[in-house]
Amino acid sequence: MVSGRGSPVAYLVAFALVGICLAPTVYIILGGFRTNSQIIRSPAGLPEPWEVGNYTGVLAGEVFWQQLINSVLAAVGTTVGVVVLGLMTSFVIARYPFKAKHLMYSLFAAGLMFPVTVAITPLYIMVRDLGLTDTLAGVILPQIAFAMPTTVIILVPFLRAIPKELEEAALIDGASRLGFFVRMVIPLSLPGVITVGILAFVASWNSYLLPLFLLSDNALYTLPLGVQAFASQYSIDTARVLAFVSLSMIPALIFFSLFERRIISGLTGAVKG
Amino acid sequence: MTGKYRSRTLGVAGTMAAALVLSACSEAPEASDYKEGDPHTLTVWTNYTGEAGLAWFDSVAQEFESSHDNVTVKAQHIQNEELDGKLQTALNSGDAPDIFLQRGGGKMRDMFEAKQLLDLTGSAVDSPELRDKLGDATYEALTVDGKLLAAPQLVQPGGIWYSKDLFTTAGITEVPTTVDELAAAIDKLKGAGITPIALGGKDAWPAAHWYYFFALRECSADTLEATNQSLDFADPCYEKAAKDVVDLAALEPFNEGFLNTSAQQGASSSAGLLANHKAAMELMGNWEPGVVKDLTPNKQPLPDLGWFPFPQVASGQGDANALMGGKGGFSCSASAPKKLCGEFLAMMNSEKNQESFYTAFGSIPLHVDAQDVVKNEYDKQMIEALNDATYVSDFLDTNYGQKVGTVLNQSVVELLTGATDPAGFVTAITEAADRN
Amino acid sequence: METAAHVNRDVPDSVRTGAGAAEAPAPGRGRARSRRVRWRRWAEIALLAGPGVVVFVTFVIVPVFLAGYYGFFEWTGYGIPTEFVGLRNYELILTDDAFLEALSHNGFILVMSLVLQGPLAIGIALLLNRRMRGRSLIRVLIFVPYVLSEVIVAIGFSLMLHPTGAVNDMLDRLGLSGVAADWLADPDIAIWSLMMILVWKYIGFAVILMLAGLQGIPDELREAAAIDGASYWQTQWHITLPLLGPTIRIWAFLSIIGSLQVFDLVFVIWGQYVADTAGTSTMATYMVANGRTSGEYGYGSAVAVVIFLISLVIALVYQRFVLRRDTEGALTEGVA
Repeated sequence: MVSGRGSPVAYLVAFALVGICLAPTVYIILGGFRTNSQIIRSPAGLPEPWEVGNYTGVLAGEVFWQQLINSVLAAVGTTVGVVVLGLMTSFVIARYPFKAKHLMYSLFAAGLMFPVTVAITPLYIMVRDLGLTDTLAGVILPQIAFAMPTTVIILVPFLRAIPKELEEAALIDGASRLGFFVRMVIPLSLPGVITVGILAFVASWNSYLLPLFLLSDNALYTLPLGVQAFASQYSIDTARVLAFVSLSMIPALIFFSLFERRIISGLTGAVKG
Repeated sequence: MTGKYRSRTLGVAGTMAAALVLSACSEAPEASDYKEGDPHTLTVWTNYTGEAGLAWFDSVAQEFESSHDNVTVKAQHIQNEELDGKLQTALNSGDAPDIFLQRGGGKMRDMFEAKQLLDLTGSAVDSPELRDKLGDATYEALTVDGKLLAAPQLVQPGGIWYSKDLFTTAGITEVPTTVDELAAAIDKLKGAGITPIALGGKDAWPAAHWYYFFALRECSADTLEATNQSLDFADPCYEKAAKDVVDLAALEPFNEGFLNTSAQQGASSSAGLLANHKAAMELMGNWEPGVVKDLTPNKQPLPDLGWFPFPQVASGQGDANALMGGKGGFSCSASAPKKLCGEFLAMMNSEKNQESFYTAFGSIPLHVDAQDVVKNEYDKQMIEALNDATYVSDFLDTNYGQKVGTVLNQSVVELLTGATDPAGFVTAITEAADRN
Repeated sequence: METAAHVNRDVPDSVRTGAGAAEAPAPGRGRARSRRVRWRRWAEIALLAGPGVVVFVTFVIVPVFLAGYYGFFEWTGYGIPTEFVGLRNYELILTDDAFLEALSHNGFILVMSLVLQGPLAIGIALLLNRRMRGRSLIRVLIFVPYVLSEVIVAIGFSLMLHPTGAVNDMLDRLGLSGVAADWLADPDIAIWSLMMILVWKYIGFAVILMLAGLQGIPDELREAAAIDGASYWQTQWHITLPLLGPTIRIWAFLSIIGSLQVFDLVFVIWGQYVADTAGTSTMATYMVANGRTSGEYGYGSAVAVVIFLISLVIALVYQRFVLRRDTEGALTEGVA
C-alpha cells in the first residue's frame, strides 16, 4: 500500500476530518465539566470554573463500575457469539452448494428490515418463556440475533471472495470442507471478522431498549441504563449525563483501537496464487 | 431434500409461533392466594430515580418490612419516560409488579378493561379515616365503576411560576389576575428586554397546558365533566379556548426557539430559562421549584420564585376557583395480595410519610394533617387554592386517554406554528375521538 | 496474468472454474458413496449454520411475526388484542398525509446518505490507506462518532443546534451572527441539519467497511498500473474502484435499509410532535407517535409491517439489479 508518503495535502485533509469528527465529541466531554447553569448562560463557552465534580462523582460511585462490568460482559458475550455464529453461518451460505441458501440469506436480510421498537413486546414474552428475563444471557442472545443480519450480509461476500483454488487444493490434500474452514478460512477472513466484531461490540455497548425491558435487577444494569440515575421524572442533570456518557464511551474506543490494526494487516500475502 | 429442509424449518417456526401466541393469550392474571404470615416479596415499580426520592422510598420500605413478618420489599425505579412502556410489556406478559405508579385517566381505564388492576375497595388504604384526611375527591378520580383502582398519592396543581425580581425590573407591581392584565404584563416585560414566557414546546404538553387552562376557564365544570365521558367537543367553549391560545401566541411572548425547547430536560429547557432569569414566567405544575432548583447557578432553590393561579377569562363560563392538576397514585396488579397492597399504600400515605414526601419531592402533601409542614409561600398559596377549589380537573390529555390526548397535544403545537386554526383544531380532536 | 484469476470475483463461480467443479460427487464409487457424501454435507451445514439460524429465528423472526399479527387488530396494548379490524389499519396508514410526508423524508435521507457518504467514505479510506504518520490514531478518531450512541449524539447536537445553543453562540462570537439560523425548527433547514448529523455519525461505519474492502486489493495491480504509466487517479478510477465494487454495494445496501429506519436521532432531537412541523418526521417516528404514544398498538404494528414491506421491496429490487453479481441473486433465482 505504499502509494506515496503523506503529502501535506493529505495531512491537511486528515486534520480537518478529525477536527470535524471530534468537535461535537469534545463539546460533550467539556459539557461534563460544567454545571447546567453554565451551559444555559454560555452555550459555546469553556467551562469556568472547571467542575470536576460531575466526573469524580460518577467515578467514585460503585454503580458506574458495576454497570461497566455488566456492559463489558454483555458486549464481549455478544461479540463472541456474533463472530462465531455469524462466521459459521456465512460460510455455509457462501460456499456450500444447496438450494436453500438463497432462502437462508433472504431470511437474514429480512430480519434487518423490521423496526426493533415494535418487536420488543413479543420478544419479551419469548425471553420470559425461556426463563431468561433478568439475566445477562437474556440480553446477549437477542443481541446476537439482531446482529446476525448485518454480519451475514458483510461476511458472505468476504467468504465468497476466497478463491476456489485454495479450497480445491485443500480438498485434494485430503482435508474436508470443514477442515478447510477451520484451517484456512478463519485466518483469511480476519478483516471481515474483525469488522463485524467491532460493529457488534459497539451495537451491544450502546444498546438501550433491550436491556431496559429485559432487566429488572439493578445489579445487572448496563451503562446506558445507568443514565437513568441522573434523570428523574421532572429533570435531567445534563452536565452529569454528559460526564457519564463521556466516560462510558472509553471502553468501546479502546476495543476499537486494539483491533483496527488487524483489519489492515489481515489479507496481505494470502491471496497470491 | 431442499423441499424437506424448507418445510421442516417452516413447520418448526410455525409451531413456535403458535405456542407463543397461545401463551400470550393468557387469561387475566389470577388473584393472589396470600395468607398473613406467608413469605412474600412485594415488588414495587416507581419513577423515583432521583436521590431524594430513592431515600424516601427506602425508608418507607424498611418501615413496612419491620412491621410485616416474612415480607421483603423489592423496588425498581425506572426513568419516567420509559416506565409506561416497560410496565405495559410486563402487564401483558403476566410478569407485572405487585405495586406500580398509576397515572390515572384513560390509561387506567384501559388497564381496567384488560382486567389487570386489583380492586382496592375496602382495603387498608380505603379506610374512612384515610379518605377523610386525603380528600374524597382524590379517591373519586381513581375510581371506575365503583371500584377503587389506585391509591392517590399526590395532586399537582398547575399555575404560573414567575420571577419576582424580573417583574420588579419590568415595573410590574401586581400579579395579573385576568388575561388582559397578563397581556399588559407581557408588554412591559418585552419593553424591558425580558422574555415574558418560557415554553417547552418540544414536548407538546407544556404548550398544550395553555390550552387546557384556557378550556378550564372558558368551559363550565359540567361541560368539562361531560366531555370526559363523551369525548364530544361540540361546545363552542372549546373552540374559543383555542382562539385564546392563538391570541396569546400573537403577542409573541415565548422564548426564541420554543419549538425545540424541552420542558425539563436539563440545561436548555424552559425550566432552565426561568432558573437563570432568562425568562419571567412559566405555566407549570407544582413540581417546578424542584426542577428549577437543579438548574440555578448555585443549585439552590430560586429565591425570588413566586406563583399565581391562571388568570381569569372575562367571558368564560368556568368556575373562578377551578383548578387543574395532575392526580397520580399507585395501583396494584390483579395478581397482587390485596391485604399487603392496601397496607403498603396506606403506609405510604400516612401523615408522617406524607410530610417526608413533601421534604423529598417538594410536592404538596395531600394529607390534611401533613400540610402544616409546608413553609414555602407558594406552596401555601397552592394548598389554599386547592382547598378553596370548587372543581379540580386532571390534565385534559390524561382525561381523554392516549389517542385523543396525543392528537390534542399535537394540535396545540400546530396552532402555535400557524399550521392550523381554531376550527381546524376542533375538527382534529373530534376526528380522533370519533376513531375511538 | 496469473492474478487475473483472483480478481474476477464478479464472475460467478461456475463460469470461472468450470461448471460445477466442486459440486460433483467423488468419482467412481457409485450411489452409496455419493449418498454418504451428501449426508455428510448436510450434517456439516446443520452443524455450522444451525446455531445461527436457531438463535435468529427464535429472537427475531418469531417476535416479528407476532408483531405483524398485532397489525390486524385495534389494540390498546393492555391485555390481549380482541378487536380484529383486518386491513383497516393499513388503509388508514396509506391514506394518511402525515405518513406519506414521513415517507418522502425517508426517501430524501436515503438518497442523500448515498450521495454524500459514499464518495466521502471512499476518499477517506483511500487517504487512510496510505502510509502516513499517526494513521492508526486518525482511524480511531474518525470512528469516534460511530461509537457514541445515537441518544447521546442527539442530546449533544440538540444543545448545540438550538437557536440559543453553542453553534449560534459561536457564530455570534466570530461576528457571523448573520449566518445564525434556526437549525432545528425551520422547515427549510431542519432536514439538512438532520442529514449533516447522520453523515457525521455514520461516515466512520462507511470508512471502516471501505478500508476492509481495500485490503483485498493486491499491491501488484497498483504497481503494474504504475509501471504502465498510469497516474494515481487513473489507477484509482480504473482498478481500485471496480475492485471495491462489492464492498460499495454492500455498504449501500446497509445504508439504504438504515435510512428507512431512522428513529432515535429524530426522536430525541425533535421529539415526535415537532418533527412534523419541522419537516423531519420519519416513518419510524410516525409509527411511535401514532402507535405507542397514542395507545394504538395495533396501528403501530401495522406501520412497522409497512416499513418492513417497503424495505423488502427495495431490497429485492436492489438484489436483483445490483447485488446479483456478488451473491448470485440471493433473493431471486440467480445464476448457478
